[in-house]
Amino acid sequence: MKRYLIGRIGQALLVLWGAYTVTYLILYLLPGDTLSIMLSASGMEADGLSAEDLAKARAYYGLDQGLWQQYADLLWRALHGDLGHSLSLNRPVTALLAERLPQTLALAGLAIVLSLLGGIGLGYLTAYLQWRPLKTALSRLPSLGFSVPVFWMGLLLIQVFAFGLGWFPATGSNGFDSLVLPAVTLAIPSAAVYAQVLQRGFQGVWQEPYIVTAFAKGLSRAQVQARHGLRNAALPILTLVGLQVGNTVSGAVLVETIFSRNGVGRLAQEAVLRQDIPVVLAIVSVSAAAFVVINLLVDLLYPYLDPRISHCPKVS
Amino acid sequence: MTTPSPAYPVSTPLAPAAATWRRHSRLRRLQLTVLPLLRRPGFSLALAVVAFALLAALVPHWLTAFDPYATAPADKLRAPDAVHWFGTDELGRDLFTRVLYGARLSIQAALLAVGLALLGGLGLGVLAGFAGGRVDALIMRVVDVLLALPGLLLALAIVTAIGFGTVPVAIAVGVGILPGFARTTRAEVLRVKTLPYVEAARLAGVSWPRTLLRHVLPNAWGPVAVLATLDFGAAILATAGLSFLGFGAAPPAAEWGTLIANGRHFLITAPWVSLLPGLFVVAVVFSLNHLARSAEEAPR
Amino acid sequence: MTHRLSLKHLLASCTLAMAVAGCSPQAETDAGQTLNIAFWGDNTTLVSVDPFQVYWLEHRVLLRNVVESLTDQDPLTGKIIPWLAQSWTVSDDALSYTFTLRQDVTFSNGERFDAAAVKTAFDSNKAFAGELPATFGATYLAGYDHAEVLDPFTVRLVLSRPNAGFLQATSTTNLGILAPASYALSAQQRSLGQIIGSGPFVLEHYTPEVGAKLRKRPDYAWPSANVANRGAAHLEVVNISYTPEESVRNGLFLQGKTDILWPRNPFSEVDLKLLQSKGASIQSRSLPGPALNLYPNTRNGRVLADRQVRLALQKAIDRSSYAHTVYNAEFPVVSGVYDVTTPYFKAQGDKLAYDPRGAERLLEDAGWHTGSDGYRYKDGKRLSLRYNLSPAESAGDVLVQDQLRKVGIDLKLNVLTRAEWVAGNASGNYDLTSTYMTRADPIILQTILDPRAANSATLATNTYEPQTLEAAKALFDRGITATSDAQRAEAYGQLQDLLLDQAAAFPLYERVWQAATAPRVQGFRWTAEGFALLNDIQVKQP
Repeated sequence: MKRYLIGRIGQALLVLWGAYTVTYLILYLLPGDTLSIMLSASGMEADGLSAEDLAKARAYYGLDQGLWQQYADLLWRALHGDLGHSLSLNRPVTALLAERLPQTLALAGLAIVLSLLGGIGLGYLTAYLQWRPLKTALSRLPSLGFSVPVFWMGLLLIQVFAFGLGWFPATGSNGFDSLVLPAVTLAIPSAAVYAQVLQRGFQGVWQEPYIVTAFAKGLSRAQVQARHGLRNAALPILTLVGLQVGNTVSGAVLVETIFSRNGVGRLAQEAVLRQDIPVVLAIVSVSAAAFVVINLLVDLLYPYLDPRISHCPKVS
Repeated sequence: MTTPSPAYPVSTPLAPAAATWRRHSRLRRLQLTVLPLLRRPGFSLALAVVAFALLAALVPHWLTAFDPYATAPADKLRAPDAVHWFGTDELGRDLFTRVLYGARLSIQAALLAVGLALLGGLGLGVLAGFAGGRVDALIMRVVDVLLALPGLLLALAIVTAIGFGTVPVAIAVGVGILPGFARTTRAEVLRVKTLPYVEAARLAGVSWPRTLLRHVLPNAWGPVAVLATLDFGAAILATAGLSFLGFGAAPPAAEWGTLIANGRHFLITAPWVSLLPGLFVVAVVFSLNHLARSAEEAPR
Repeated sequence: MTHRLSLKHLLASCTLAMAVAGCSPQAETDAGQTLNIAFWGDNTTLVSVDPFQVYWLEHRVLLRNVVESLTDQDPLTGKIIPWLAQSWTVSDDALSYTFTLRQDVTFSNGERFDAAAVKTAFDSNKAFAGELPATFGATYLAGYDHAEVLDPFTVRLVLSRPNAGFLQATSTTNLGILAPASYALSAQQRSLGQIIGSGPFVLEHYTPEVGAKLRKRPDYAWPSANVANRGAAHLEVVNISYTPEESVRNGLFLQGKTDILWPRNPFSEVDLKLLQSKGASIQSRSLPGPALNLYPNTRNGRVLADRQVRLALQKAIDRSSYAHTVYNAEFPVVSGVYDVTTPYFKAQGDKLAYDPRGAERLLEDAGWHTGSDGYRYKDGKRLSLRYNLSPAESAGDVLVQDQLRKVGIDLKLNVLTRAEWVAGNASGNYDLTSTYMTRADPIILQTILDPRAANSATLATNTYEPQTLEAAKALFDRGITATSDAQRAEAYGQLQDLLLDQAAAFPLYERVWQAATAPRVQGFRWTAEGFALLNDIQVKQP
């Protein structure tokens, strides 16, 4: 078990490093010159300046290093907890993340809870219902959930629930009220995935011998479904939750733009466009770390939830 | 599967016999699968929607008489009526026509994205599943890295790097959905690899590449094909997301995503500009998902 | 029941009467305290509210109410009028400006506003421009050498070379005077909102991409003549928010959550009608500076090197259809290289008339003949123009594309990221490109079209054919060294003629800035540069 754990953590670190490096290389290889973006941002273009002024500006933004030198420098400092300095925002990246990350975490957290509740609820309901037409209709609902573009769903929800019914505020980051619509928007595609997987899981589960045993013990359908069916049908969802981390960050980019929330997603999008390498690297690292940690936890949790799986070498 | 039927005369060469037998059987199997499905109205409807979208992609001018690019300032933002089925946009262009012409770019992009992901994912998955050991570990770590990177950010960076337009967007989206294919393929290969007939083929001295092509791939194909259909819809949505962020086809051409995204400014005043193309896209993607799921659930 | 109803009625009519009379102190303090302004997005490339660096229009609105300048500009005449300086003299060589300052002004941190504070401000700005020559404020400060404190309330600003726009520059937010304590901080700290001015409002906080909060300064009493309210602002608090999504922003206004809806682009016709139907007033002002112009690339044997083709292009653009389709029926049609609010603007609508037949004739004469696909060809080459734009095309761009298609010109809308767009300008890889700057002095055009001062020297050079470039430079020089109004008017008049006669700029539309104000908002007034002074605004029930 200990050996497995060390191996898994090693793999996780390797993946993190890979994500960091791939991101750095892609950003570095982008066609635009970071310096000219920065200059253009302050109202000037590079060809309007003398060579001397250019060198000054390059030094001002700390862009006077080579590809690998910058990489090594950034990585070394990142390992010491210093994520560098944002080129365009004039601030340490750690401060930026400290300010923005809570917004996104609250959004993503609520979205994950909602998607699990919605997904599992729908899946469970579909399996429990006996009336065919309704069962079929519910079983098609998840497909609809991931057939709708996220940004469009967000705009429609705003029109209906914020402007039409006035139940929730359309924008802003104050309080729980303002979190509901964006979180629902973000939760819908994930919930659809969970519901679909669960529906499929339940289909398989009824034939399992332990279900038959449970029925034989005289348990009611609802009891069987809750105690035995759900637990086993829901296992694949655990894996999926881990895999949804990346999707949640992607969704946050769109949702935060629509609902005018200043979280990490929007920051990331803008940072990519202005080639603010330290900021993008930091965000990618954080989301990759979240991905890796959650998946590690899922792997470690599995044996406890499903006794058939073990990470210890089998005796046979 | 390779056992010849005793009904055949012994003198007939084995290979051609097996081939005709297999072709016949496949056709019949297809018939057996599809016919009952076609009797279900949902399936037929979904098939019709997808067929219509494909027709629009191939020959949009058969389906409409309007020019998708000709502006008509006097007719701007007309509500849907008998002439303009989806109404007109802010420059007076017929929206239904633009949706039809948009089908080509959107479907091309989605096909390209899924094709890329399929090729790459299949290759990596098969390699990993078959080679095992260190190669497997290495490939799966690469796939993990791709999975760990948020898809949209990766796509944004790729599009920024190689430029705007349909093809770059398709490539970016394809790279984003590639890891899913690689994982599914690998899992399927691992499953099929241990099945008795594969082991039997190996024991009978069939070479690895031949085992792979004749025995493993055809049997690992199912879940991958379903995933491809599902991801076709996902690719359309991902392209729409990128269009929303401003990375779409070169104007005046418009992908579905661009149409929905540009129409959103009129959600309060002229909702159809965004709603109708949006509903069309939802219908197509939903139909694709429905087809994929029906195929998956059908007894094989 | 009846009794209760009638009581209610009585109460209601009482309240109504009091509100109409406008003398209810209760109503005033309840409603008259907070103003909510919704702008579109924040600047995400240069995150800064440091007055010297800011070019972002929305930030300049904010700053106009926090930071004050030596002078102000009359929005009707463009004349420079006293503000923090009571009077000034300009030497005959136009190289030294002596300002006599007001003596009753303090910064919001209690520091006294005096000659030393002015010197600190100008010297700090000069030092910053030395460190980062690309900064926007550097163009306002052009030629500034040093400041002399003559006595505690008299300061002389000395230029090393003539700059006829300098006096106007002293009226802008960019050369606004911050408290000396602000300059002791780093540019980063100022950028993130640590700025102390002498204005009627204090910047309480600025959160990039979310919003800002201004609070009234109760002891304020030194506005310029542009403001009717001579004392502290009526408003207690101003909340500014940035909402990038148009439909969401409009919805917030329609819901009554925002008092002023202030997007960057003018309202479309449908939005305008909707807003007006809800009782909103539409405030409009052309932003001073160049109109929204396209600039050609006439060098390296590109298609637009041929003046005939450029003139044809000029005639093929239907500007009134643009204004009325993309915006609305009342929208002004652009009539010159500059917007009408720019001092020394010269109306040239006749040179910008839509004449597709004329355009076709010019193209025929230039050897471009229509091919089978409707586009024109010469020597087998299609008449195709590459228009670089960023970050996304507008409906107007697509409309122009279709207008040009009608005379056989293929306009390629080349959507680029900001980085690629900048690189395209610098390398001359375009036929048409577009950019704008806002300042109420014609000198601003030098930052676009004078290669010696422009942000992109390549763009500025490529705009003209070689002989025209020399003529334009000479006119820019005459404009900046002029010492009298008549001389400036003549120089800039000739410059505007030259730009259109040579088709070195293709105006598309007048850059009108529009804000919708809710019925309860009263006293909205534009400044000369298209910002608003909020100390006159009151929020009342109408």
